[in-house]
Amino acid sequence: MSESVKIQRRSKSDRVNRISDKRANDARTQSLYQPYKDAEWGFINHWYPALFSEELLEGAVAGIQICGIPIVLRRVDGKIFALKDQCAHRGVRLSSKPTCLTKDTISCWYHGFTYDLASGKLATIIGNPDDPLIGTTGITTYSVEEVAGLIFVFVRDDEFPDQDLPPLSADLPIRFPENSEKFPHPLWPPAPSLLDEGAVALGIHRTGESNWRIACENGFDNAHILVHKDSPVIHAKDWILPLGIRPTAADCITPIEGDGPKGMMQWLFTDKWEPILENKTLGLKVEGLNSRFYRTSVFLPGVLMVENWPEEHVVQYEWYVPITDDTYEYWEVLVRVCNTEATRKSFHDRFETFYRPMCLNGFNDCDLYAREAMQDFYADGYGWDNEQLVDTDVSPITWRKLAARYNRGIARPGRGVDGAIKASSIRIRRLAEGKKLGYFVEKIDDINTARPSSGGKK
Amino acid sequence: MSENDLRAIFVFADGIAREALVPPGMSVLDGALAQNVPILYQCKSGTCGTCVAQLLNGAAPLREDRATSLLPSEKAQGRRLLCSTDLHSVCTFALDYASDVGTVQAQKVHAFIDKIDFLAADVVRLDVELAEGCWLDFKPGQFIQVTVPDTGKVRRYSMASSPGDLPRIALLIRLLPNGLMSTYLRERAAVDDVLEIEGPFGSFFLHEKVRAPHVMIAGGTGLAPLMSMLDVLRVAPGGKPQILLSFGCATREGLFFCDEIELRQFWLPSLQARISIDRGEPSATVRIGNPVQAITAEDVGDPETVAYLCGPPAMIAAAHDHLCRLGVAPKNIFTEQFVASEEM
Repeated sequence: MSESVKIQRRSKSDRVNRISDKRANDARTQSLYQPYKDAEWGFINHWYPALFSEELLEGAVAGIQICGIPIVLRRVDGKIFALKDQCAHRGVRLSSKPTCLTKDTISCWYHGFTYDLASGKLATIIGNPDDPLIGTTGITTYSVEEVAGLIFVFVRDDEFPDQDLPPLSADLPIRFPENSEKFPHPLWPPAPSLLDEGAVALGIHRTGESNWRIACENGFDNAHILVHKDSPVIHAKDWILPLGIRPTAADCITPIEGDGPKGMMQWLFTDKWEPILENKTLGLKVEGLNSRFYRTSVFLPGVLMVENWPEEHVVQYEWYVPITDDTYEYWEVLVRVCNTEATRKSFHDRFETFYRPMCLNGFNDCDLYAREAMQDFYADGYGWDNEQLVDTDVSPITWRKLAARYNRGIARPGRGVDGAIKASSIRIRRLAEGKKLGYFVEKIDDINTARPSSGGKK
Repeated sequence: MSENDLRAIFVFADGIAREALVPPGMSVLDGALAQNVPILYQCKSGTCGTCVAQLLNGAAPLREDRATSLLPSEKAQGRRLLCSTDLHSVCTFALDYASDVGTVQAQKVHAFIDKIDFLAADVVRLDVELAEGCWLDFKPGQFIQVTVPDTGKVRRYSMASSPGDLPRIALLIRLLPNGLMSTYLRERAAVDDVLEIEGPFGSFFLHEKVRAPHVMIAGGTGLAPLMSMLDVLRVAPGGKPQILLSFGCATREGLFFCDEIELRQFWLPSLQARISIDRGEPSATVRIGNPVQAITAEDVGDPETVAYLCGPPAMIAAAHDHLCRLGVAPKNIFTEQFVASEEM
């Protein structure tokens, strides 16, 4: 050690995201969910939705990012392969100019490193076919499941052992009627599941600008329904949507901790939660005519189930898939069992004419604003210390603790990926081009023509 | 192997020499790796420079048919990329790293005191942060040497924090009536003091990716390396082993870290903990007895059970005997004795 070097602190700034002693959600409670606070880039080693089936047609290649991990998907003869979308050589994203010279490989368009789709191994190098590196290295592959029109990817650490791969059902909401006895629902028929025979999933996904946890907590926070007070669908259908719903019993939430999915069920529309229909101080009163019963539950790695919503026999699932620490892909998916062509068609029609415009947009658009409104408070880490919780926050706190206990891993902050550096020149160029931060990799349209924004002299 | 094989001798920076027989046509690197000589390498194609070595004697030309990233001047000085080098005679190569680079190299660094926490009658938790520009890696279970300020004397402490917590390090220090470090902590230590530390050291560390049940027995501050292991086990990808931690202190006044253990149990559902005190009143969470006897035959029913023991020598000896009697294989028992320096 050189004596001439000054010994100094690494950083003199305040310590962010350490436990505060001052709040009601005290050090002890906060400690219990410290792993959740650490999960800025999400929980890894879980199943996440990646694309709708129709977004990856035969032969197509798409690049996305989940939990800071770039992933490329390709469909060949109906089967989907997913690999790390980052060439082992110099980190180029394979999906930005898809180059597939055989059915069983994908090549990097820059230096020709060519990977076996199934194993991820380096199969050859286009311009260097005898190099000793071939066969000795490769890129990580990810397991894929396609159900009811949704493509799921098991987003894992490179070192996650294959034999520990959990079934997709372990990361989806619990099913009915098998859970009807444990979680009775006298006011509506059993909710369908993605895994039911004949299940059809229709929905949308879009990118939100907040941390995934802020988005996820919004979904089942029973005080948040205030933001939906003036949703057109509520007024058009004359639904009774309370001003708020507050807990009235110690067992208002049941943790789900057995084998299979891990999460929690909220006993809404029972005597364990009280709907608030009036606030006399403010002279507010809910005037709806039609009861709209629903129930929310949430499961790792952050999937919401809203039973009996927006209508009977339909269930709404939502995912808040981390892309980076400040963007997430918001998935709104409606599932219905359609055993005949007629029911399938009527579900599609209802989706296009009612559910999508009025519910997935309309109603849920409010939530995007609400999540964004909280982002700055939590983004620098102080929000977790400074939040002033109230009784309805039993829902997010219970979720945080369960998520801290049962997650399969905390994603490391993204490295060498989009979003690791927030103001990179490419991001700024995209901004200047009027493109928002996104989930998909931007493809090169024509490599022989400069981008319009860098076209040189006018 | 054939009579045409040529001998290559590798001399590492720690003076250890290893040999390999290299068949004709095989690169020196492949020959060495085939016989488990621990050469660092990455690309195997003459580019990255990781497998560089110094040719001390013999004839070993770089391959003519391959471009390497070595400069002509480097070649002339005898530098060779072993992946792209052929043997033409018996040769000796020098490597500028030690033969145990697989294990981490000890570093001398500075660290700032973040917090001094008197946890119990005779235990201090010391939190430090490595200074700007300083780093050291370690395996969970290893220890560092800390120079007691103003004395020039060193003391050894196992990290209670995990490598993932770096640049922060937590130590658990047992206070002794007239100990050098104890006196420093009680009388002079302050937040922002700079400590000289060196490490990591030690061959007591977590053997990763073991799925068999883990039994951990700790006496007093011997808990430290086991806490580090627990935090690594918790975040390791994939399924977790069953873990039983048995922790004991002499008295209730000496007991510490119960809340930390409880937190680990919350975060790691496969962890079970038993806390013992030698004497005093039992409670719902604390039993009377020693942490060794708290382990029963049912706890170690799996013949593959691995055990980590850390504490005073008498406890280690008793725990080793006890576990062997219960059927744990001696090769699966890893131990670290904590001996107070003043008693040495």
